[in-house]
Amino acid sequence: MSKLLEVKNLTTSFRIGVGLVQAVRGISFHVDEGESIGIVGESGSGKSVTMLSVMGLLPDYADIKADSILFNGREMTAMNEKELRAMHGSEIGMIFQDPMTSLNPLFTVEQQLTESLKIHQGLKKQEARARALELLKLAEIPNPEARLKQYPHELSGGMRQRVMIAIAIACSPKMVIADEPTTALDVTIQAQILDLLNHLKQEMKTSIIMITHDLGVIASMCSRIQVMYGGTICEQGTAREIFYDPKHPYTWGLLNSIPKLTGDTNEKLIPIRGTPPDMLMPPKGCPFAPRCQYCMPVCREYMPPRTVLGDTHAVACHLMHPKAPKVLRREG
Amino acid sequence: MATPLIEVRSLKMYFPVGTSLFKKRKLLKAVDDVTFDLYPGETFGLVGESGCGKTTVGRTLVRLYQPTAGQILYRGSDIAPLDEKQVLPYRKKMQMIFQDPYASLNPRMTVSSIISEPMRLQGVAQEQITARVAELIEQVGLKKDHLNRYPHEFSGGQRQRIGIARSLAMHPEFIVCDEPISALDVSIQAQVINMLEELQSEMGITYLFISHDLSMVRHISQRVGVMYLGHLVELADTDELYSNMQHPYTQALMSAVPVADPDLAAQSNRIVLQGDVPQPIDPPAGCPFASRCRFCQNICKEQLPEVREISPGHLLACHVMGK
Repeated sequence: MSKLLEVKNLTTSFRIGVGLVQAVRGISFHVDEGESIGIVGESGSGKSVTMLSVMGLLPDYADIKADSILFNGREMTAMNEKELRAMHGSEIGMIFQDPMTSLNPLFTVEQQLTESLKIHQGLKKQEARARALELLKLAEIPNPEARLKQYPHELSGGMRQRVMIAIAIACSPKMVIADEPTTALDVTIQAQILDLLNHLKQEMKTSIIMITHDLGVIASMCSRIQVMYGGTICEQGTAREIFYDPKHPYTWGLLNSIPKLTGDTNEKLIPIRGTPPDMLMPPKGCPFAPRCQYCMPVCREYMPPRTVLGDTHAVACHLMHPKAPKVLRREG
Repeated sequence: MATPLIEVRSLKMYFPVGTSLFKKRKLLKAVDDVTFDLYPGETFGLVGESGCGKTTVGRTLVRLYQPTAGQILYRGSDIAPLDEKQVLPYRKKMQMIFQDPYASLNPRMTVSSIISEPMRLQGVAQEQITARVAELIEQVGLKKDHLNRYPHEFSGGQRQRIGIARSLAMHPEFIVCDEPISALDVSIQAQVINMLEELQSEMGITYLFISHDLSMVRHISQRVGVMYLGHLVELADTDELYSNMQHPYTQALMSAVPVADPDLAAQSNRIVLQGDVPQPIDPPAGCPFASRCRFCQNICKEQLPEVREISPGHLLACHVMGK
């Protein structure tokens, strides 16, 4: 499969009054055509900022540096604002977490849905309307004719997210970025939306980047996963590698701290002690070192290199060094 | 089984909505005829989707609301009809931990005055308060020099600990935990849950654990109740409920939970419910779940199903299942 998006050495910082918040610190990854990858991490890990940087959607006080961001063979770092805008919505669609704040309350569903069709594809009003109806049907919205005339506040949370999805796929983009698309929704509605995304992915061969903190959502949606912590990627691999053969102590910690729906109910959860780092003053060495129970002196001094374990699996941890002690994951 | 700490009998909590001089005001039936018992030292999980009334049940139990009808028997005496003054002695025994640790702590108060407020309201002497506050802050894993700081200096997990310290101040017997972890990061959630469990085993507190996180409820609760549109539709011991769920809504809810296991996720047969939860304002007659139920029959649309005990301790409100 060919690479649709390839990001090399991306660094994003925010200049704020007291200093520089280093939200993303030198990460590289790629997305193949038609595949869905998951970016998992806690708040402040840099997962959303990564994608907003790629899209060029960050405010002026953000410093974005990258060796290269190739999308569909074109270099995005060399593009000006106009060229970037032409890509937004037509080649890359975005779905945000909160459909209430990301839809404009003053415009009807039809106006918001046809906007990108008119701009990017130059459709006339009638054509755009017909396409909008088609999209609402694709997004499995019942009674689409009536919905077109409604305003966002007249729709339920699940319906609003469906409208967001319809907008994101309006111009048949090659890639859809979904930033916590189901976090604000109830589980039964979340299941509907995940089903819809899976369905659209198969139907339209769209690549999906799923940003979430929910390991369950990732497991059911994504073939490859990257785990982010403190602005770096600490582990990346296929879903099976991350869930069944994780190597990074942070990934172990994440998996140990969630209870399961089956098995022994009396098992004790093993929390990760401490709190995530302050990215205004990130630790000198490995960002996870202060919370890691296997921390070695070297971890506090040097950032761990990326160790490649196989075609798809890579870990950034000093424990992977041949001379490091062999440790075993504490099972939950 | 032991005698219950709290017996909830046909609890109803209706809110009038809309204002009109001439039309009859509509009623939002947030909790409609809910009956269950809470036993000393247990954790009772209450699950359901937003708007199902689970938070209202919790708030009504600690008498933040005046129930429309029904009884709340606390150690045998009914606290439902009591007024603000009469209910004050019970407030010591019943506390609440809130969902949002940002909104539930007053930003203008220091940690020390937040934790001591319940004691001041109950008229505890100042010397005792100071000693108790110092004891509490260490009990929840924070340090004494945190006491003079303000809430904004703390992370979400630490704030939730402060909220827990406040709820423990008066040595309560019963705490309503209303989504205590849903605003926290995954790695922090386990810290708070473990602490709640430790506090319970030390002090024998009874928890009503309200959450939409079904796997966490399974982990922490001994018994679980499932609510839908103001009604308790199923109630059973945790193991029984998670292995032998009967109500079609419980089944759909459980199957919708994403499993953090790619192989299981690929195999799972998800029951995807159609449509949204109906409005609890003037709800339809019959079973509240009828409009979305895959087993719906004629009787379901007409008659509200009675709560039946289908096996010891397993209660079910459904016309079709469990026969």
